[in-house]
Amino acid sequence: MTTPLVEIENLTVRFSGARDVYAVNGVNLTLNPGETLSILGESGSGKSVTLKTLLRILPENRTTIGGAIRVQGTDVLALSGKALADHRGGVVSMIFQDPMLALDPVYTIGEQIAETVMRHEGASAAEGKARALEMLTRVRIPSPERRLKAYPHEMSGGMRQRAMIALALACKPKLLLADEPTTALDATVQIQILLLLRELQREFGMGMIFVTHDVGVAVEISDRVAVMYAGQLVETGSIRDIIRDPQHPYTRGLLAANLHGAVKGARLDAIPGAPPALHAAPNACSFAERCAHAQDRCRAELPPRVTLGERREVRCILPEMAKA
Amino acid sequence: MSAAAPLLSVNGLTKHFPLKGGFFGRSTGTVRAVDGISFDVAEGETLGIVGESGCGKSTTARLLVDLIRPDGGEIMLSARRLGVDLPLRDLRRNVQMVFQDSYASLNPRLTMEEAIAFGPTVNGVSTAEATRLAHELLFKVGLEPKRFAGRYPHELSGGQRQRVNIARALAFKPKIVILDEAVSALDKSVEAQVLNLLGDLKRELGLTYIFISHDLNVVRYMSDRVMVMYLGEIAEIGPVDAIYERPSHPYTRALLAAMPSMDPDHLTREAPLAGDPPNPINPPSGCRFHTRCRHAATVCISTPPGLYTLPGERHLVNCHLAIPNSGHPGIEAVTA
Repeated sequence: MTTPLVEIENLTVRFSGARDVYAVNGVNLTLNPGETLSILGESGSGKSVTLKTLLRILPENRTTIGGAIRVQGTDVLALSGKALADHRGGVVSMIFQDPMLALDPVYTIGEQIAETVMRHEGASAAEGKARALEMLTRVRIPSPERRLKAYPHEMSGGMRQRAMIALALACKPKLLLADEPTTALDATVQIQILLLLRELQREFGMGMIFVTHDVGVAVEISDRVAVMYAGQLVETGSIRDIIRDPQHPYTRGLLAANLHGAVKGARLDAIPGAPPALHAAPNACSFAERCAHAQDRCRAELPPRVTLGERREVRCILPEMAKA
Repeated sequence: MSAAAPLLSVNGLTKHFPLKGGFFGRSTGTVRAVDGISFDVAEGETLGIVGESGCGKSTTARLLVDLIRPDGGEIMLSARRLGVDLPLRDLRRNVQMVFQDSYASLNPRLTMEEAIAFGPTVNGVSTAEATRLAHELLFKVGLEPKRFAGRYPHELSGGQRQRVNIARALAFKPKIVILDEAVSALDKSVEAQVLNLLGDLKRELGLTYIFISHDLNVVRYMSDRVMVMYLGEIAEIGPVDAIYERPSHPYTRALLAAMPSMDPDHLTREAPLAGDPPNPINPPSGCRFHTRCRHAATVCISTPPGLYTLPGERHLVNCHLAIPNSGHPGIEAVTA
């Protein structure tokens, strides 16, 4: 058995403020080296928060984190100071939806990549610049020598996304976190970026956690999928399991809402209602009030974690009843 | 198809935005946002409009209700021509619009019932009657008037706000509703609810929709006919099945091929188009798509193809490959 690259055990994240928000409520997850996992969910489901916890970029004074996160055996939640700075960008790196916010507007792309390499690898300025050129070539930015001297605002949307990927991968991280990096792009550009990420992931042999709300994107990019709802993973499995044999009613609803193969004019089997506000830790199934199969038990206690195979788990009473 | 005049008819619609910023604010170029497009919308149908960002789909929507003034072309509603025998007021009453950003399109200081009643009140309906209408419409879009009439926009979720925007658009009893990425910002499960609502309202009120979206799955589900735009022009327009199953323009084929696969065993191997959509400032000569088209030939660079009607159906395509005797060397290869 391989040692997992990432192990998340019973992760909880709570934000305190005027009203507390229980953003992540008991997430368990493993990622093997070189594997791509998609976290699929809607806004407010806690998928981005989970990613940000892995990089420890949540505001410390307002966030209470429970459980454990290990990346390559290192306890991420215990890191501080220089060790944390080495972790960020060295071992784990992240790309975002909006590259305009992720890139520094007052430095050129070349300077930003070179700086990262110099900080993490102690390289000279010349080596940093050489790596910047190499990275821009690898993400297939046309005329990379010229683009080294470009500022972010001088590039098009798709090109900025490529530049951000180059920056994130400059120090050959073991784990890449991707927070909806293609959501703001046109479909014609989105598929280019997805293919690029797929290729770079294989080349660099890194693990990737890819957050998205789009089932189609998850299919293109991932080996495994974790479906997230109200701060919990409701279903995990291989991409084939999730697409062909979804077990949780929420997963089924999400797949239907994608409209792939929907019959024109026929009413959609839409999930009613809206996700719950997360002002208290859940003590019952969070999906019960929108679920057509909900029973008294769903509203009274947390749903069971039903294992359906290796690394295949559903938090719902339905598969448990089917098994019994 | 009946021989009756189409409900909405657009002929040669054009909008060019001058680019300022040169010496003393002199013009430095022109964005050819919409460049002489013509199409019809029949009563009761849904016309989908798709294309990449910058192709002119939203500008087209705004031109249709005169939110921006066209530089050329004519708009006809029920055979009456805007500016001749169709006053702008009548056009706007009959063609209403729902925008993508549900929050920005509502006045933060108006309650939901005030927001919906505002238009009718300004147009001479008494406050009491307009309020009654607002409650009726709230109910119609699935929001219980007792709970929602007195709320402000920030007290509603995105899906609920979009329902209010739809109710407000319906307050004038319009014939046509333009939905400009109206469901794009919603979560998938909420989007499905709103699409169901739009289907119900269309059946109940006999509405005609112009449905603009970048999501090709949603457009296929909603539309009777689809118009594909590229750099301010129509690349292809036709019945939804023809566009999705027998696309004739290489650009339409590329757009469809760029949709993520839903089959883990048949992933997309190659991106159908390289690079970003080109800038609508000073678009390419001839066929505007020739810079990204793998079938581009000399004739494509020199001559714009123009819309050509394919035999049989109301399916028009703007490509030399589809036009007999256009001089494109690939025609034999394609038809053979």
